[in-house]
Amino acid sequence: MSNILAIARKELRGYFASPIGYVVAGLYAIVFGYFFAIGLNWFVRQSMQAPQFGGGPLNVNQQLIRYVFMNSTVINLFVVPLITMRTYAEEKRSGTIELLMTSPVTDFQIITGKFLGALSLYLAMTALTIIHMAVLFIYGSPEWKPILTAYLGVLLLGGSFLAVGLFFSSLTRNQIVAGMFTFAVLLLLWVIDWLGSLGGPTFESVVSYLSLTGHLEDFLRGVLDTRHLVYYLSFITFGLFLTAKAVDSERWRG
Amino acid sequence: MIEVQHLTKRYGRVSAVEDISFRVERGEILGFLGPNGAGKTTTMRVLTGYMPPTSGKAVVAGFDVFEQPLEAKRRTGYLPETPPLYPEMTVREYLTFVARIKGVPGGERKSRVDAAMERTRVADMAERHCGKLSKGYRQRVGLAQALLHNPDVLILDEPTAGLDPKQIIETRQLIKELAGTHTIILSTHILPEVAQTCQRVVIINRGKVVAVDTPENLTRRLTGSETMYVQVDGAPADVKTVLEKVPGVTRVTVAEGHDGAAGYEVESEPGRDVRRDLARTVVGGGWGLLELRPVRLSLEDIFLQLTTEEQPQAPQGEATIQ
Ligand SMILES: Nc1ncnc2c1ncn2[C@@H]1O[C@H](COP(=O)(O)OP(=O)(O)OP(=O)(O)O)[C@@H](O)[C@H]1O
Ligand SMILES: [Mg+2]
Repeated sequence: MSNILAIARKELRGYFASPIGYVVAGLYAIVFGYFFAIGLNWFVRQSMQAPQFGGGPLNVNQQLIRYVFMNSTVINLFVVPLITMRTYAEEKRSGTIELLMTSPVTDFQIITGKFLGALSLYLAMTALTIIHMAVLFIYGSPEWKPILTAYLGVLLLGGSFLAVGLFFSSLTRNQIVAGMFTFAVLLLLWVIDWLGSLGGPTFESVVSYLSLTGHLEDFLRGVLDTRHLVYYLSFITFGLFLTAKAVDSERWRG
Repeated sequence: MIEVQHLTKRYGRVSAVEDISFRVERGEILGFLGPNGAGKTTTMRVLTGYMPPTSGKAVVAGFDVFEQPLEAKRRTGYLPETPPLYPEMTVREYLTFVARIKGVPGGERKSRVDAAMERTRVADMAERHCGKLSKGYRQRVGLAQALLHNPDVLILDEPTAGLDPKQIIETRQLIKELAGTHTIILSTHILPEVAQTCQRVVIINRGKVVAVDTPENLTRRLTGSETMYVQVDGAPADVKTVLEKVPGVTRVTVAEGHDGAAGYEVESEPGRDVRRDLARTVVGGGWGLLELRPVRLSLEDIFLQLTTEEQPQAPQGEATIQ
């Protein structure tokens, strides 16, 4: 465990020693802020119009927070490759991987450490949006439970994306290549939803099961469903498992 | 302490190391000598558990590097060919991180880091970022990293590469101090380095072990036919003819002399000591014998002889040269 933490801390420090940590956090804050502003604007207008049309009061959680989170997940497509592209690729290029792989730590500890390091940056990045939530709490009274599940969902989605990125980083010593492949695959997973409507009902259900964002809906709605939890955790485990396989086969090939 | 048995490593079809075997006893310094691409780094990477061998086995500090990698790694310090530094960390941060993953307990970390910096003389750069160090300092921080957890076995891939002459001497001195309490393998292409620091040498070429011996023995063994250098003050033509007649002498060539006297290289049958006869002959001829000494091939010559594929003359005697 202490090995995992040592590596996770080293990774996290690496992000903030280079511009990447700040770029990623800044990018996320800007895009999230943009969606938040639009959402808020819409919400305020709707709230003022609603009584005129005889509607009840609008729900901040369901009609604002949920949409802001849903829309802003698109940033992950850009931010996650930036976070993960260097993890393995850079260590292979610079030769520091020789230090890790000749130290008394297991591949599992290295991979988990790197994953947790990346996840911490991701967490720090999403934590910035607590400011936006705070604004809502000051001027309104949203429920906090759906907000918590929303954060959990966003974290799990991010973790799944990061696992994909880590895997591609372990395949090459070129961070740009790693980043591009990650982006391409994440984009594919993103648009897979759209394919669903093209086939029959079974095809559609398979595709929607695979869709990473599809599983986020319930979290954003405030529903904590173990199926989705299991889905994301399996996805992450599988990604890290593939990374371990890639690292091991690289070791054999030399 | 280190035992390598029939180790083979292939990269795809390229065979980098082919069936090599050797042992290193506790406290010994073994020099790994070979030209570029000989397979030194590859062997070291197998010994440190960086990659598994294609076949054969390696035991380090009593643990098979493939069967019990963690135990073997705990007892090994490794300086790779390129020092594995993280440019964004300061030297102290870096060494503290290494101490953590090498399993140095929390309470000892600071003192170990300080001691390692002291030994490798990088303490003055403790707060400098690794990415901003000069080549020599990187090398030394790499060495500090290898000694940090006080391992039984040190594997150093070209430890003096990129150092200035003063540093080379200091590093060799440090390596010698470390022997005894540590078992060391170091690789190099610099021949005097091996002669100065190592008790035994493995010469490796194209993935095969060409010779294993002490530097002195290698030199002696390889001289094959014995050669004497004689300096005599007398007419070179006369001296040469007389020397050629000494029993056991096979060849005499006029070599460089000094102080007006000519020098001669006298080759004789192997195993036959012709020094007395030579001295008697010279003195009996009425000349002055100014110098008489055996000619030793330098390690450099041996290295070249051993690693050149087409040897002009196969070394003779009991040498176990393949
Ligand atoms: N990752 C690799 N993939 C394929 N071939 C490799 C790899 N690493 C080394 N080789 C080959 O294996 C052989 C031995 O290389 P190695 O690096 O062990 O030599 P070396 O003795 O350390 O040389 P040098 O003195 O240049 O450091 C070389 O022919 C090299 O081209
Ligand atoms: Mg090498």
